[in-house]
Amino acid sequence: MKKLLLAGTAAICLTGAAAGAAEIKVGSVGGVTGPIADIVAEIMEGRALAAQQVNAQGGLLAGDTLSLVLADSACDPKAAVDAGSKVVNIDQVVGIVGPNCSGATNALVQSVTIPAGVVNISESATAPSITALEDNDLVFRVAPSDAYQGVALAQYVLDSGVSTVAVTWANDDYNAGLGEVFVQAFEEKGGTVAASQVHEPNKASYRAEMATLGGAGADALVMFAYYGSSGITLIRNALETAAFARFFGADGMVDDEVINQIGAENLTEAAFTAAGADDSSPAWAAYIAAAEEAGLANPTGPFVPNGYDATFLMALAIEKAGAADRGLIAAALREVANAPGEVILPGEWEKAKKLIAEGTDINYQGASGEIEFDDAGDVAGVYSLNTPQADGTFSSVLLK
Amino acid sequence: MWEFVNFYFLPGVVLGCIYALGALGISLTFGILRFANFAHGEIMMLGAYFTLSLTALTGLPPLAAALPAMALTVAVTLALDRAAFRPFRGAPAIISVIASFGLMLMIRSAVQFFWGVQPRPLLRGIQRPESFLDGAILLPPKHIVIIGSALVLMVLVHLLLSRTRIGKAMRAVSDSPGLARLTGIDVEAVIRATWAVAAVTAVAAGVLLALDTHVESMMGFKMLLPMFAAAILGGIGRPFGAVAGGLVIGIAEEVSSFPFGGTEALLNPAYKSGIAFAIMVAMLIWRPSGLFKGRVF
Amino acid sequence: MEAYGYGLYLVTLLSAGGIYAILALGLNVQWGFGGLFNAGIAGFFAVGAYASAILTTAATPEHLGGFGLPLALGAVAAMAVSALIAWGIGRICIRLRSDYLAIATIGIAEILRLVLKNEGWATNGPRGINRIPKAFEGLPEPWAQLGFLAMVLLTVLALYLLLERAWRSPWGRVMTAIRDSEAAARAAGKNVERFRVQAFVLGAAVMGLAGAYYAQYIKFIGPDATDPLTATFLVWVMLIAGGSGNNRGAILGAFLIWTVWSATEIFTPRLLGLLAGLLPADLAAELKAETVVRSAYLRVFLIGLVLQVVLQRYARGILPETRPAVAAAPPPAAARERG
Repeated sequence: MKKLLLAGTAAICLTGAAAGAAEIKVGSVGGVTGPIADIVAEIMEGRALAAQQVNAQGGLLAGDTLSLVLADSACDPKAAVDAGSKVVNIDQVVGIVGPNCSGATNALVQSVTIPAGVVNISESATAPSITALEDNDLVFRVAPSDAYQGVALAQYVLDSGVSTVAVTWANDDYNAGLGEVFVQAFEEKGGTVAASQVHEPNKASYRAEMATLGGAGADALVMFAYYGSSGITLIRNALETAAFARFFGADGMVDDEVINQIGAENLTEAAFTAAGADDSSPAWAAYIAAAEEAGLANPTGPFVPNGYDATFLMALAIEKAGAADRGLIAAALREVANAPGEVILPGEWEKAKKLIAEGTDINYQGASGEIEFDDAGDVAGVYSLNTPQADGTFSSVLLK
Repeated sequence: MWEFVNFYFLPGVVLGCIYALGALGISLTFGILRFANFAHGEIMMLGAYFTLSLTALTGLPPLAAALPAMALTVAVTLALDRAAFRPFRGAPAIISVIASFGLMLMIRSAVQFFWGVQPRPLLRGIQRPESFLDGAILLPPKHIVIIGSALVLMVLVHLLLSRTRIGKAMRAVSDSPGLARLTGIDVEAVIRATWAVAAVTAVAAGVLLALDTHVESMMGFKMLLPMFAAAILGGIGRPFGAVAGGLVIGIAEEVSSFPFGGTEALLNPAYKSGIAFAIMVAMLIWRPSGLFKGRVF
Repeated sequence: MEAYGYGLYLVTLLSAGGIYAILALGLNVQWGFGGLFNAGIAGFFAVGAYASAILTTAATPEHLGGFGLPLALGAVAAMAVSALIAWGIGRICIRLRSDYLAIATIGIAEILRLVLKNEGWATNGPRGINRIPKAFEGLPEPWAQLGFLAMVLLTVLALYLLLERAWRSPWGRVMTAIRDSEAAARAAGKNVERFRVQAFVLGAAVMGLAGAYYAQYIKFIGPDATDPLTATFLVWVMLIAGGSGNNRGAILGAFLIWTVWSATEIFTPRLLGLLAGLLPADLAAELKAETVVRSAYLRVFLIGLVLQVVLQRYARGILPETRPAVAAAPPPAAARERG
């Protein structure tokens, strides 16, 4: 896969950059197979886009190629440890982007990357437990911890004039975390949770659950689910049983496939939060323009912009470090991401490269937000609100 | 009362019909080839993908496209039998089980390679329920289609097994392979027929499931364990048992969420998938031959 | 540097392979010795892992305990809890014939998985138990990894010696007699149910130990540890490919299949790279990231294919069963019928 990707990106960069330079490897670990394969396939495109831009605009350091080494963590802790060991030890990567699931991330960083001193940026691991790891400043995330998003969504739901809701969440690390925070925050802010239920993902029907939740007298359904494994089925069953017509949710639902299957006309009262910038920001515009030109299948899918940002940041850190050295790269990451510094937008690799060469401090502002890492390597919660449009895509505005 | 019927019982019947069609194939192959076929869910998924592509290519409605998809899937299944299972006839069943496990991985990854991993719809949009009996019964049209097609197929399988020569031979092999061979039954032909029936019912289950949800590469594996449970519940090698088992499990899963006397579900829906197994384990302990006195090996 | 990297990878490969070898040895006691078709390995494995994790982690409000007990105690407790559960299941289910026992154990393992996932007060639910202590982790690289590997491999060796002894003992012979001809064993006055429960419990205890090591190795345990694909079916593949009824076969199968599972990822990109090299440059440029990701699915296809080849080449396993007393005699006809 790596060589194939190389063939793809190298063929593009051969025309621009100097050929024959060295190859700098970054591990691209993700749940390519497993329960969220659909989401990860889109994230991988985001990562590849960043690498492609870097290579097309002069490459790393002295014209070296950024090569993403794909390894499958299957959203499974032991597969993640195995995948991490391969890229760290065999491919000798200088850093890792990924993996996707929180459990896999917890296992990978504790068992492989922290002992080996390799920096790790996950674009989608949102479990609060990752904040507390003793990570020698090696574990970073460009997705905010669940703890923030549930609160932001609770506030938004109340602000929309809905005070009584029913809540359901899929029983996995990501959605359960969000759901529990949401329920707590919503009740603290004065809302009423008429009914809440956990659901087991991957079932063929949720009609009974919808009927039970729908009977509780709520005005809307707040759902935390991945669109493929239960989200679409939940909405479909809720509409078909007329249990709910109004839906709120989070990242896992923001995929065009939801609109494609359910139909925009049935989703006029649906709104989902996501970690990310609003679509009027210059960073978003730069990202979307590049993504559309490169023909990404779904650049606005869950965590796809975050995947792009994680990879771009890794490249910036390598450039800043000035050498393919694990320790230097880890130390440089916070410098290129955080203010102060000259603002770098998605795709502005040439500019960034020049500024770094001149010794100017830079500050990357990503498609998924401004990305300022705190002491724990987390980013603050900046959220967008995504609503389905008649053209089959989501529009997103920054949630204040 | 009607709320119970419309939102808990009937959805359970719909789910049960899909489980039943899947369990039918598992029960037949288990009864005649004497091993638990782990690849059955993937055959179901493959058929749904064939149907998806045929609807896209020809513009046929899904149910019409399912027919050539069934033919294709039968061909694939027969080829797989020849390559992966035939060498192990007469060997311990566990070898075939492991071979089917390998096939499961191969079919799924091939589908993911060719079709990708995104869920894709056979039927877009929302179907609002139609009312029957002055609004007492609410059913969306696709559920009528699902229940109707499942019933038609079950009757056809029944006729095949009870009225045709090959069907009778299948039952004979299921009851006693040694005796069947002695009476001059071509066991290999029976096995081919079994695979064909299993593949056709699996494709039907896959397409009907996709009508209600969508087509995706894990859809078969997600259904596999409840389908096994249904086959066991009904008694191995007993087609009607598998149908009854599927219905019992489908209905039990949905009805368990009914808020009997309150607003809380009877059983936390997070434990929903446990119901099939709890029923199955209880059945095994109480009556190992299943509801319909299937084979006990 | 490169060789050192390969070396470290080899250490992880052997550590994970060793944990699977322990699981396969446990399964061999149940299936190879006793003919008990346990399809719920994941359940015993996970119970062991959780028991050890709860006992050895530092105190935390997230889940039950955090008792901070020594690792060795965690491992012993993992075996005990796993054995206890197996005893309970065995008492009820052991009279079921092979396939039915398989389905019952699969069902019980799935119910256990749901319990681990939903009873958050004890297990932290879907978010799992984090920061599990690991043996030798205080040492610098590579000694920490090597220390853990040595512990796993020594355990495999010790279990092998113990189980070989059991296999050759009168107990082992009674077990295989029951497996091959229950009626004859019964006629000889053996308490078939009791022997079966013993084999079931012994195997489950070994699986629980593997769970404890797994929790240490990964340092994190979540409900996905009970995933039937990698914790049950893969172990079966290992035992059958290696040779059931043969402890050395179980160990060989575990290391071999795990190597195939893991190392295919190193070789498939090379292979695909070669293929991509054959394509015209403009065509290769059109291969988008999506195609790259899709090619990862081919690895799983390859695993399935290798499995088919191994099965067809070695239908009785790479190291077939040999009877201790009558090693030269052909296997009795009854053995071929089982399953």
